[in-house]
Amino acid sequence: MKEIRVSDQPRLGFRRVLRITADGIRYRLFRASVTVAVIAVAVAFLLNILSESLIKRAVARDTRDHIEQSRLVHSWTSRLGAPGTAETILNELANTAADDSRVEELTRMGGLGPDELVQFQRAAGQTIEYMDFFAGLDYARRRRLVHQAEGLAIFDRLAGDANFQKFVAILRETPSVRLTSTPDALREFLAQWPRIRIWTEHVQAGQAIAVARIAAGLNGRDLTQALAAADRDFGHVVREAGFALDEESARVVAGQARQILDQRTVEKSLEHRAPRQIIARYHDILPGDVTTALLWDFVSEPSRAAQYLKAMQAVGISGDQLQPDRVQSLARHWHEMNRMERAGRLTADMEGGWLGLGQRMAWLLLVSMLVCAIGISNAMLMTVTERFREIATLKCLGALDGTIMTMFVLESCMMGVVGGIAGGLLGALIGSSRMLVAFGPAFAGSIPLVDLAASMGVAILFGVVLAAVAAIYPSFRAARLAPMEAMRVQ
Amino acid sequence: MTHPHSSPSAADRRVIIRTVRLKKQYVMKDVVTEALRGVDVEIFSGEFISVMGPSGSGKSTFFNMIGALDSPSTGRVFIDEVDVAQLTAEELAYLRCQKIGYIFQSYDLIQYMTALENVTTPMAFGGVATDEARKRGMRLLDTVGLGDRWSHRPIEMSGGQQQRIAIARSLANEPSILLCDEPTANLDLNTGQEILDLLERLNQEEKVTIICATHDHRMMNICDRLMWVRDGQIERVARRNEVQVEVGTIDGE
Repeated sequence: MKEIRVSDQPRLGFRRVLRITADGIRYRLFRASVTVAVIAVAVAFLLNILSESLIKRAVARDTRDHIEQSRLVHSWTSRLGAPGTAETILNELANTAADDSRVEELTRMGGLGPDELVQFQRAAGQTIEYMDFFAGLDYARRRRLVHQAEGLAIFDRLAGDANFQKFVAILRETPSVRLTSTPDALREFLAQWPRIRIWTEHVQAGQAIAVARIAAGLNGRDLTQALAAADRDFGHVVREAGFALDEESARVVAGQARQILDQRTVEKSLEHRAPRQIIARYHDILPGDVTTALLWDFVSEPSRAAQYLKAMQAVGISGDQLQPDRVQSLARHWHEMNRMERAGRLTADMEGGWLGLGQRMAWLLLVSMLVCAIGISNAMLMTVTERFREIATLKCLGALDGTIMTMFVLESCMMGVVGGIAGGLLGALIGSSRMLVAFGPAFAGSIPLVDLAASMGVAILFGVVLAAVAAIYPSFRAARLAPMEAMRVQ
Repeated sequence: MTHPHSSPSAADRRVIIRTVRLKKQYVMKDVVTEALRGVDVEIFSGEFISVMGPSGSGKSTFFNMIGALDSPSTGRVFIDEVDVAQLTAEELAYLRCQKIGYIFQSYDLIQYMTALENVTTPMAFGGVATDEARKRGMRLLDTVGLGDRWSHRPIEMSGGQQQRIAIARSLANEPSILLCDEPTANLDLNTGQEILDLLERLNQEEKVTIICATHDHRMMNICDRLMWVRDGQIERVARRNEVQVEVGTIDGE
């Protein structure tokens, strides 16, 4: 007969534990799949929000660049049309790198030396900073601090010594208002203010002269028409006047200007009856209901474009360079711009904060994560408690507490991985398809795949960790109980 | 006349299980149930003991206590002169795995394991290599007459078959003590007799100490001593030859 000798129990190999766990899951497949579903839904929700905001952010970035690029004519028209205000000049200086041709242009127009430019640019930065501070105040506070002054006039007012003393006194009484720097720094800045004013005025004066020269060089054209020749004679006029327009951007601007002119020509044809009627007949609507959108839809097909061009010539609108394929490309461009603007509008609500979620969305995400965590914990808690009897049996057979804990935490992890992957794929899929539907399939290229994959990894990890953590406590409790106590819990 | 507590065989009188003023209370809200009210027993190594008593008498609690499955409220349990309360969790696991075999009333097989896996699981806990465990498991299944059903799961077997798997499992690590809670209750006469023969053989040849809760009269033919439990106390302990005489009144109820 065997001696009874008490010693330590050997540990069960990890692979064996893994097999027992896997067998257990397979046996309770339905129960396990419900738990997996809970985890999957939680992770899917998380990833849905994440992927949507990621895509939205990427689309916003792409469209912003694109729209900016396609609006070169607009920005040149305003640059050549009138001198900038003091605020726009300061803003531009503050936000442009020192080696940009734009800065050089401003320097030239203001007749500033290189040292002055460096000081001017630093001062511009400070000005914008203080302006943001004053713009952020509500009306009552601002009125108390600087009376009715607004914009740059605030600095004019504060430059007066009495006003500044009053300002500092009131500021000291109002602890809720925090100046971005110290009052001393502000005083130092204000000491410079008259110089800044003068510099700005110099630049403005220079710009006014340049604008006058441009106006003289227009020869009866409007600015857009003139810009269409930016890569030819008008380019010289612009450069002569002192603006920084290099060959490369001149070509781009000219191309865009021509596009705008052609577009205008085509759209102008809608003022005539006959072309309008062609479109109305095609869409089966009243001629009065024809819009530019319908026009561009109509001419996006080659044969219809040719037909429309003929009708345009019949009413006396002749575009010499207007060919059917040109009209078609105009239509494509129009549609693309339309899409971009739509995407721009849809992403206009992108707030700052974490991942561009904005405060409300981030809060929602946090709450939903909490709900998910509780859901997963509950599912795991149920799984462990309903198996107390099995745990008791295993303990009777000599299982170590650690083995039992490992079994359950492992089971949780496995379910977490499966649920996490399923939920991650589902969430990413739903999120990206929803965004694609909203922005149109043309934006498929904007989907940030790497970010998406990374967030998927994070979400899966979240599911696994949550499931594992949720299983630790109940299985720890069950493993620590004496076998018969565990059975009695039932 | 010999004292009822003394062992029948004078050659081996080593005490393997000893309880000292063993008490167990179950507290549920305000109601205190006294399942055991001071039990002192000595069980000798190699003995075959039948425990009888009506349901609710504290039989199962007594079993759990001497099997180191539950902790007493007061009092002590010594298994081979080792106080169970002093053992660490790992030592307890070792004790349950290597030294004691359990056969429960409700079989308590692991539902998702095959018959063979059920039998080899305690061996795995005991550190037996997989191949060796398989071989021994098959031999044990053959012993209980279910060698051909090794790949079946408990749910595919009858109650009697499950009972026999449970018996095979309890013998997995060649325990010194076998605790059986009505091992023949769900079996037909023939199988029941086979199981009894098996237990008797284990007791005779391997000198396994067997403690059996039972209502089966046949058990009395093979056991060394009988204990009657009533109201959480050992009412009476008797050697078999003393009981045989009064065979008409042995029910103890």
